[in-house]
Amino acid sequence: MRRLANLLWVIILLPLGYAASSLAQSEPIRIGVLYPLGGPAAIYSKPALVGHELARDEINAEGGVLGRPLEFLVRDTKVKPDVAVREARALVLKDRVDFLMGGLSSAVGLAISEVAREHRVLIVQPIPKSSAITEERGHRYVVRTASNTVIEGRAAAVLAAKNPQNRRIYTISLDYEYGHKVTEAFIEHLRRLNPAVEIVGQAWPRLGETQYTNFITAILEAQPDLVYSSLWGGHFVAFVKQANPLGYFQRLRHLNVAEAGSVEVCRTLGEEMPAGIISNAYDVPEFPDTPAHRRYVEAYTKRAPYASWGIQGYIATYFLAAAIEKAGTTDTEKVIDAFEGLTIDTPIGPQTIRAFDHQASRGQVWGVITCGGGDPPCKLDHVEYIGAEGLWNSVEEIKRLRAQSQ
Amino acid sequence: MPDFSFLLVQFLNGLSQAMTLFLIAAGLSLIFGVLGILNFAHGSLYMLGAYFTFTVVRLFQEDAAAFWLAVLIAPVAVALVSGAIEWLLLRRLYAREHLYQLLFTYAIVLIISDFVKFAWGTDNLSVSRPAVLAGAVRLFTRYFATYDVFLLIAGPCIALGLWLLLTHTHWGKTIRAAAVDREMLAALGVNVPRLFTTVFVFGAWLGGLGGALAAPRASLYPGMDVEIIVESFIVVVIGGIGNLWGTVLGAFVLGQVNAFGILLLPRFAMVFIYALMAIVLITRPWGLLGKPLVQAR
Amino acid sequence: MDQRSRWWQGALLALAMGLALVWPSLFSEMSVFVATEILVMGLFAVAFNLMLGYAGMVSFGHAAYFGIGGYTVALLLKKAGASFALSLLAAPLLAAVAALIIGYFCIRLTAIYFSMLTLAFSQIVWAAAFKWYDFTGGDNGITRIPFPAWAMSYTAFYYFTLALVGVSLLVLYCLTVSPFGRVLQAIRENPERAEFIGINVRGYELLAFAISGFFSGLAGGLFTVLQRGVYPDFIFWTKSAEVILMAILGGIYTFFGPLLGAAVLIYLDKIVTEYTEYWSVILGVILLLLLFFFPGGLLGFVQRLRRSPAPRQ
Repeated sequence: MRRLANLLWVIILLPLGYAASSLAQSEPIRIGVLYPLGGPAAIYSKPALVGHELARDEINAEGGVLGRPLEFLVRDTKVKPDVAVREARALVLKDRVDFLMGGLSSAVGLAISEVAREHRVLIVQPIPKSSAITEERGHRYVVRTASNTVIEGRAAAVLAAKNPQNRRIYTISLDYEYGHKVTEAFIEHLRRLNPAVEIVGQAWPRLGETQYTNFITAILEAQPDLVYSSLWGGHFVAFVKQANPLGYFQRLRHLNVAEAGSVEVCRTLGEEMPAGIISNAYDVPEFPDTPAHRRYVEAYTKRAPYASWGIQGYIATYFLAAAIEKAGTTDTEKVIDAFEGLTIDTPIGPQTIRAFDHQASRGQVWGVITCGGGDPPCKLDHVEYIGAEGLWNSVEEIKRLRAQSQ
Repeated sequence: MPDFSFLLVQFLNGLSQAMTLFLIAAGLSLIFGVLGILNFAHGSLYMLGAYFTFTVVRLFQEDAAAFWLAVLIAPVAVALVSGAIEWLLLRRLYAREHLYQLLFTYAIVLIISDFVKFAWGTDNLSVSRPAVLAGAVRLFTRYFATYDVFLLIAGPCIALGLWLLLTHTHWGKTIRAAAVDREMLAALGVNVPRLFTTVFVFGAWLGGLGGALAAPRASLYPGMDVEIIVESFIVVVIGGIGNLWGTVLGAFVLGQVNAFGILLLPRFAMVFIYALMAIVLITRPWGLLGKPLVQAR
Repeated sequence: MDQRSRWWQGALLALAMGLALVWPSLFSEMSVFVATEILVMGLFAVAFNLMLGYAGMVSFGHAAYFGIGGYTVALLLKKAGASFALSLLAAPLLAAVAALIIGYFCIRLTAIYFSMLTLAFSQIVWAAAFKWYDFTGGDNGITRIPFPAWAMSYTAFYYFTLALVGVSLLVLYCLTVSPFGRVLQAIRENPERAEFIGINVRGYELLAFAISGFFSGLAGGLFTVLQRGVYPDFIFWTKSAEVILMAILGGIYTFFGPLLGAAVLIYLDKIVTEYTEYWSVILGVILLLLLFFFPGGLLGFVQRLRRSPAPRQ
């Protein structure tokens, strides 16, 4: 009965709301949003989408950008480059969007980045981390508000180097672009920080691997001082479930990049989440303990169970809004100019887009998994934020990389 | 130089992988052998088995026997679903070309994948091991997961049970007869459509059981169906389509290739299994233990 | 075929060609892009169907030849600095060579074993593209390919594709109605009998495989230009499944059916994606409807309607 009453209210109020909003607001700013909405990658894109929408609604409630509301046109990429390209083009040519956002998986990220370049439309990428997107294959029309593989791998190296006993290193990463890039960055930087480091073994399970006991036995056999892993999502979950009974985490120090410390993963694994491993996440609900962040977490939780990837969509949307506001127009070239060097305040503190490569100064939060009950029982604790400054490739290095790939 | 116990543990790792692969592939092989249908949806049934297991364990999480209850219930639920599919739809297609049956199973794959996304969401899910099987056993200087020991015992038992079922029961004998000549069987007065339903349901039950038993060592996500189906095809093809012991051997080979291939040539693990399948098909197309087709071209 | 139905077919074809010629001036840029995609995928589906519909060979790995065509164009243009014409010529040739080599092994097998071997080979090709970073760019694929400026114009490339696909379809059509096509159908219906009357069954099958590979490679090359890049995804088995769906959806026992199937599938995908994320279930239900109500595919259904009153079973 109550549900029926609610429904009635919605039916009555909806047209009224529409009428009011259409009177008050002018032509919306149209933004195409491209994400996979199903499959293994959706664990990231779904929360990110919630973040995008939260930011959009907050901005629109404050009167929009330049007095115009933001409007999203969400399209499913199905994690296929050709589908993503078709959808991106349809958004640009048919729906006449002013801007694009999104992308997940480095192939899709690069594919739609090329559409943006060709049509001179700006794309903001909040998730793909392959350094190629802003480095070798970077261009004027792509802005990345995500971190990247260089920043992430080097930050992990800094943490690994803190313990001088970490000499013999074993790496395990998925055998594809992200796994290789982030592992390369880690090893190269760790060698710089500690020349005594030795790579005693490397495992490269394939993307989608479900069986890890073979790798785990091989790693246990090598007895490394530290295992570096970039297994993500379901891969990490399966790895942990197969490593736990063997006492793997009691016997080895394990450092896992790829947001294994995110609340989503902790929730999935529950009490099986290994305590003591060093890991990272894009966001944790308790850190930083600032009013802005608390407000964000609260607002997000009202829409959906808290998820760390939401912040990526949230920040990206605010970045775009800020750039439009600064440019005073939705003209693509002017908005890109506005983006270069733009700093905004976000729930996790100030973030800057570097002028040369359009890479955000986005780092991640790092910490140690600690189990102490609650929901979820284990979470990332002793958290610190490691920003991109001092870790990312310098402008000169990127120029060299771009020249090399020509 | 890796010592003996290391090799032994790797061997056992490969073997326990082979067990779940066997369960899934056995159902696939049985359905193909009798109905002549390559069931693309078998991976989806496996996925459903795993997700049902998750739900049952979640419902009875206070109970220590939750997992065992799930292992009982989930495969039956999968069997019921597939029984409905067969009874309502698939049986209308038996008279048609194989291609259309294939297309049908592919349509089921698409529908089930969205159903799983709709019902359980896109987050990764996980099923805990039952407490008794949570630890590890000592093997010389090394450890081996107790749950995998359980799989090593359960696998051969199920294989043996299947073999007894196929060779020593009336139903099994009829099935084997149907695989050879279904017209003759119909002429002898056997209700072939009903036989097909039971085989399809039983094959699906095996797939669901595979999903239930694999769940505690895996993560559950939409898309796990596609991961498993190609591997099960490979197992069935290598061993010989429709041959029970062939499937056992195929699973064994694939498990061992995975276990030792990654040690010898880690970067080529992905190519290994496809190359293996190609080589078997070229040199011995009917599989390692299968029999050549009678009607050669 | 009687006089009237031939007249109908001619008229329909002329109408379709006329529409194709004026398409860009009637519709938006996006429609031109989608039309180009339909033409390319349509060529792929028709080429694939030469094996499936005419010769009765069910390939599960046709994405391999499509992808080889695509990578040939990308690599020749980007790494070898070859001309556009040469690259686009090399794509079908290389794909045909690959089809010959792979086909040589596959045609010895029948039924499901044939399908499985085509699948195994295509996955090996996929794995090579996925893993060979220095050469193929790995899973990042190859982008920033130096295409000539005119090929970047949607309308120009549309007409270019229309011409190439038109000629290819004509060649394929002539093949299917030629003695070669008849022999293939004879093999499909009864390979033993074909063998008995002195037909070199394997030779014909291999030839069909190579021709099918050739045009699939051309389609892959054109697709790469259209997508401005090539990715391992173009070789993955899901692409092979896509082309099978297109062929069956349109009707495998008709020449133009697969082209229609490609058009319907691409268009549907585009429309449905705008409204719901549950695209798979919709596609699944469409397939079921097709199976139970239009078993001959869409074009097959239309043909049967025209031949009405349909004979009772």
